[in-house]
Amino acid sequence: MTFRFTLEGIYTPIVTPFEDDGAVNFDALADIVEHLVENGVHGIISGGSTAENYTQTVEERLELARFIKDRLNGRLPLIVGTGAMRTPDSVALAQGARDMGADALLLGTPPYSVPTERENALNALAIDRAADLPIILYNYPGRMGVHMGEEFLDHVCRSRNVIGIKESSGDINRVHLLARDYPHIQMSCGMDDQALEFFAWGARSWICAGSNFLPEEHVFLYETCAVNSDFAKGRRIMSAMMPLMRVLEQGGKFIQCVKHGTEMAGLRTGPMRPPLRGLNKDDKRQLEQVVSTLKITIAAIKAEN
Amino acid sequence: MSELLTREEYEAIAANLTLPVNAFIDGSFRPAKSGKTFETVNPATGVKLADVAACDAEDVDFAVSRAREAFDDGRWSKLHPSERKDVLIRLCKLMTRNARELAVMESLDSGKTIYDCETVDVPETIHCIKWHAELIDKIYDQVAPASDDHIAMVVREPVGVVGLVLPWNFPLLMMAWKIGPALAAGCSVVVKPAGETSLTALRIAELAYEAGVPAGVLNIVTGSGSQVGEPLGKHADVDMVSFTGSTVTGRRFLHYSADSNLKEVVLEMGGKNPCIVMDDAEYLDSVAEHVVNGAFWNMGENCSAAARLIVHKDIKDDLLERVKAAARQWNVGAPLDPSVRVGALVSKAHFDKVCSYLALPEKGQIITGGKAIDGAFVEPTIVDVGSNDDTLAREEIFGPILSVITVSSFDEAISVANDTEYGLAASIFTANARRAIRGARALRAGTVTVNSFGEGDITTPFGGYKQSGFGGRDNGVHAHDQYTQLKTIWIDLGDPFDSEVD
Repeated sequence: MTFRFTLEGIYTPIVTPFEDDGAVNFDALADIVEHLVENGVHGIISGGSTAENYTQTVEERLELARFIKDRLNGRLPLIVGTGAMRTPDSVALAQGARDMGADALLLGTPPYSVPTERENALNALAIDRAADLPIILYNYPGRMGVHMGEEFLDHVCRSRNVIGIKESSGDINRVHLLARDYPHIQMSCGMDDQALEFFAWGARSWICAGSNFLPEEHVFLYETCAVNSDFAKGRRIMSAMMPLMRVLEQGGKFIQCVKHGTEMAGLRTGPMRPPLRGLNKDDKRQLEQVVSTLKITIAAIKAEN
Repeated sequence: MSELLTREEYEAIAANLTLPVNAFIDGSFRPAKSGKTFETVNPATGVKLADVAACDAEDVDFAVSRAREAFDDGRWSKLHPSERKDVLIRLCKLMTRNARELAVMESLDSGKTIYDCETVDVPETIHCIKWHAELIDKIYDQVAPASDDHIAMVVREPVGVVGLVLPWNFPLLMMAWKIGPALAAGCSVVVKPAGETSLTALRIAELAYEAGVPAGVLNIVTGSGSQVGEPLGKHADVDMVSFTGSTVTGRRFLHYSADSNLKEVVLEMGGKNPCIVMDDAEYLDSVAEHVVNGAFWNMGENCSAAARLIVHKDIKDDLLERVKAAARQWNVGAPLDPSVRVGALVSKAHFDKVCSYLALPEKGQIITGGKAIDGAFVEPTIVDVGSNDDTLAREEIFGPILSVITVSSFDEAISVANDTEYGLAASIFTANARRAIRGARALRAGTVTVNSFGEGDITTPFGGYKQSGFGGRDNGVHAHDQYTQLKTIWIDLGDPFDSEVD
């Protein structure tokens, strides 16, 4: 029997801390890994867009993934992102993930090329062939320009490795489609402001960048909704999180916010790699205020027990 | 089909294939609900090809429920016949477009030669589905001769949800023989491919869905006989099972039916088919070609294989020299080499079984062949068994072993030919028309060929006498009929007020 990866819980697409000169700060990365393990997330994703993968070479990405894998030392599963412009790069990342003993792949659409559904599926299956690891699809049309539509899904599910999908389209109809017509693909929330809706439709996991700096709060929502099915309380927690979601998803500075949030949690993330820049003073203040309110509100809900 | 490629080109295609491994249920690929898988292996190399979904009763139940829903709501069963035809013809076009991929996948999974896959299996698969598709809107119901006061209509309706259980020797073609008429008739089907050879069935289902066969109408549930075949055979919501395979398993399906809902059962099973060559047979070189083709085609893994050569003593030596020469042309080797005519046996277990028969002949009985190679291949082997009572003359070996039995007369030849529990196919070679026709009538077999070895074609029914099967026939209009139920609609036209008017 082949192992089938089960998506349960909060999976953190980990940020990449950099030095001022742009080099990776591995000490800081080790601290973030420890922070996530200690605070109860259920898995770590390396090389996601939150990690600024588009600024990194394939070798760098594999080195980062190997480092995280070693630090985790089996305590949590590691999922390796294979998103890249070039299929050979994605294949190399997948092979590297297999060789290092990663637990699964996060497999997106190649950006910019706007493949057809069939082309996109063949690309995904080529990456799958290279690794033979469990795959979590990553539907993110906002950045990739194309949807992972039904033709794509029907085609890629030829492979038993396709076990899940991180749905980041923001289209609630996609949630309905996945829940009703593709129950055999585990649906994972990839749209932070819709986490409650995802859980209501049966999702058992949430791949959320915000858990880099608010792991406890994200785990609390997961446990309340997915484990305990207490959606009345879940709605209150989600309501408290919504201002943060608005800042993250709609402010246009998603990764910058996540990195600054992680700094606020006492960890070092350093600057962004270009072309992105860090937050300005006003943005930082807004984020700090939102996070502070969120933490107080959710702590109060938690204290009710 | 375009020209054959080189072995290197076929191997390059094989290396780039993405193999479908999940079950196909309700319009999409799904892993087994249990998450379990089983290995499917390239029998020629012993290398694992993929982990295929190991479904069980829960998956069967799900597939049957979706098939039932699809049948009852009429998304396919009540579609206008010409629309069903259009969809199936579109499937044929998609299969033609993907023919090379299908041929390579079939060869990899089954050990069949790429030569056969390219020239026989794939084109005949397409032809079969196309033939049944074309038939859909060209067959008429009947009106029986009743009185002027009645109309008696005899109509055919699709039988419902059908379980189709496939053998491993012709994974694509046997699927076509069954889904062609079943889908054409309007049934919803749940297909259980053989555990050894599941891949092309999954690919066909994918293409069928792309062609427009609605979700739920064509489902493929992969897994073992005990985990998938048995629950399918016992399922109370399956209206009919059509099975091709061993006689032992065929009997089980009758039990399953008797123990459940008395579903209809159609069985197509084994054979130990005689090939009679009389002393007056002409063109012995041509006869020898037919004999070799009949015995060794598809590695002898063929229920209609002409596995018993019943030859008149007066021409025996002459014929056997020519048969040996013809058999030497059938080279054994890598299935993806297009010059190879004898590929790998389907599995290690089956190879071992065939080898156990190779060990039986005494010294001097083996006329040619007799070697097993690399745990996968068996040389075309001809054995002079002396009597029809020999194990090699009685048991179905399903391998490239031809047993030779010598006779002295026409009547003896017919008697020996019929001395078998099977009755699938038979052939007789004679230049005497009276003997040919008498022989064809006397041979107890579903298909009898004269001066040739063959099974007929898509237009002619195929099936067996005796323990080779019953309940229906594959191919031809008869195959279509077996996936339908007969209904009489009796309409009274009499006017009850007629007498009062007078």
